[in-house]
Amino acid sequence: MTSPIWLEDHVEADGFRIRYVEAGEGSPLVHLHGGGGLTLTPAHELLARERRVIAFEMPGFGDSPENTRHQAMPDLARTMLEAVSALGLEELDLMGTSFGGKVALWAALIAPQRIRALVLESPAAVRPDGERPPEPATPEELVAMLHAHPERVPPRPPSSLDQRARTRPLLARLIGPPRDPELEEAMRGLEVPVLVVFGTEDRLTPPELGRVYKEVLPNAHLLFVYDAGHATSADRPEAFAEAVADFLARHEQFVVSASSSVLFP
Amino acid sequence: MKAALFNIAPYLGEAERRAWPVPTRTYSHEVAGRSLDMALEQFELADQLGFDWVTLAEHHFAPLSLSPNPMVLAGAVTQRVKRAKIALLGATIPILNPVRVAEEFAMLDTLTGGRVVAGMLRGTANEYVTYDVNPAESWSRFEEAMALIVRAWTEPQPFGWQGRHFRFRAISIWPRPVQQPHPPIYMSASSPEAGEFAARHRVSIGFAFTTAPLAAAAARHYRERAAACGWEPAPDDVLYRVSAHVAETDEQALEELRTAGADTPRRGFSLSNRRVDDAVAGAGYYGRDAAGQRGRIEAQARPMAERIEQGQLLAGSPDTVLAQARRLREEVGAGILEIVFTPMGRERTLEAIDLFGTAVLPRLREL
Repeated sequence: MTSPIWLEDHVEADGFRIRYVEAGEGSPLVHLHGGGGLTLTPAHELLARERRVIAFEMPGFGDSPENTRHQAMPDLARTMLEAVSALGLEELDLMGTSFGGKVALWAALIAPQRIRALVLESPAAVRPDGERPPEPATPEELVAMLHAHPERVPPRPPSSLDQRARTRPLLARLIGPPRDPELEEAMRGLEVPVLVVFGTEDRLTPPELGRVYKEVLPNAHLLFVYDAGHATSADRPEAFAEAVADFLARHEQFVVSASSSVLFP
Repeated sequence: MKAALFNIAPYLGEAERRAWPVPTRTYSHEVAGRSLDMALEQFELADQLGFDWVTLAEHHFAPLSLSPNPMVLAGAVTQRVKRAKIALLGATIPILNPVRVAEEFAMLDTLTGGRVVAGMLRGTANEYVTYDVNPAESWSRFEEAMALIVRAWTEPQPFGWQGRHFRFRAISIWPRPVQQPHPPIYMSASSPEAGEFAARHRVSIGFAFTTAPLAAAAARHYRERAAACGWEPAPDDVLYRVSAHVAETDEQALEELRTAGADTPRRGFSLSNRRVDDAVAGAGYYGRDAAGQRGRIEAQARPMAERIEQGQLLAGSPDTVLAQARRLREEVGAGILEIVFTPMGRERTLEAIDLFGTAVLPRLREL
């Protein structure tokens, strides 16, 4: 299987110029990144083998100008829905990671008819009560915070910390309370099939938070990726991509095994 | 110190002992039925005498044990043992379906009102042949299986599991365990890797097929690693398995042991097929201290005096046996003494258990 080729472009939407990368052909899967900005993992490549994967860089992240306009999550979610429309896409699969998981959740609540299925990777819509862990002071601390096995992850450039510092006001403004009654009430009415994925070694959003989504969302499947940290898809890309692809292809029916156990015909 | 009575449920008839898997040419279902009855009878007596635990094990394809699935035997034990904890040491989790193991332990915990102890072991080397599992993946499967079992016991919502070795799309076990958050877990910690894993996961440990000096060193390693992880194991977190025979006098006990063949060096179970053991060793099953681990198992075949000296056998009068147990408490730091009473005919073995229960057990508690 050859690796898909990633193309980079920009789209004008809601007054923003939004960068995105895409690869693959077929049914569109739109990905909204986490608080650290857009990074591609091998999971993106695996998913792009069977579908068209479009990964946006949301306004205010990466090299885009500072985003002072959005005041709440639904604002950002509306902008991202417009960006998807600007690409000519009406219906889509939507995936959000951590911070982007909350954006994706809002987008699905705003336009449920457009979302075929929703994937939330280590979503930050529900967070532990109490003190947030301190911001990492070094690239090594950042890696240790996000990954189950920091020793297996290549070092990050020091600039990754600057980027986090730059987007911190935006994240702080948009992220909302650890439990958001308004959001959770809305979630109870969401009929879209949702796959909620947590790594068993996630230290930022512990996997025990997964049960809240399962309790609140009427059509959710909770999946633990063993031995993965908060950066679930980066830590166990094959495991992550297999479950996501199967869920997107078969929705609720993915609980029924379609793999063969025949060893020899 | 607490006492556990261990019975591996041996087949008490004639069979080949120098092979594995063992052919069933001499097998008799009457003998097998009687053998299982005798194990149940010992468990019941131990319960009446005040033993704290009765313990079962899992072994395959050999007359050494008629308990390839200790969950099934434990189901019978729940109907006979009304007070003591029922410990399965263990389930050989790397070769089993972890969801099934979680369900079975939860069933037993429910049937006993919360008296099950969940041993999770890698098994002897040959077990990997049983269900066609590559021993090179033994540790990795063990770690994942334990994580999945604990998650299945504790997660209130249905969940899927995307592991390395195990994949399940939806899990929500019924019944749930009675003990909260879950039944106590024991694992073997003879190898350094195992001790480190147990310390990291705050899991209790047990020693079998070893010697007091080796277990003492391994227990020290476990405690040091636990301290580094910010906790201190209690005496109950360390179990030590030993063979025993007790009689009115030392001379009588030793003479009965000799008559029962205990002075004849025995070949260890997992070494009865050397080629299988070599292949499993070659796959990395024994870990970074492979020579030590294999030596430890080979050392089971020793004359009686040496086995007593090495803390593998308690033998003598109640006073002597108590002194030998004290040494295990002090050297190994074991809080649970798990005893295999040397088989010497149904009546004589029951008498030895009875004597231990009345003349040793009350004083053992004070150690």
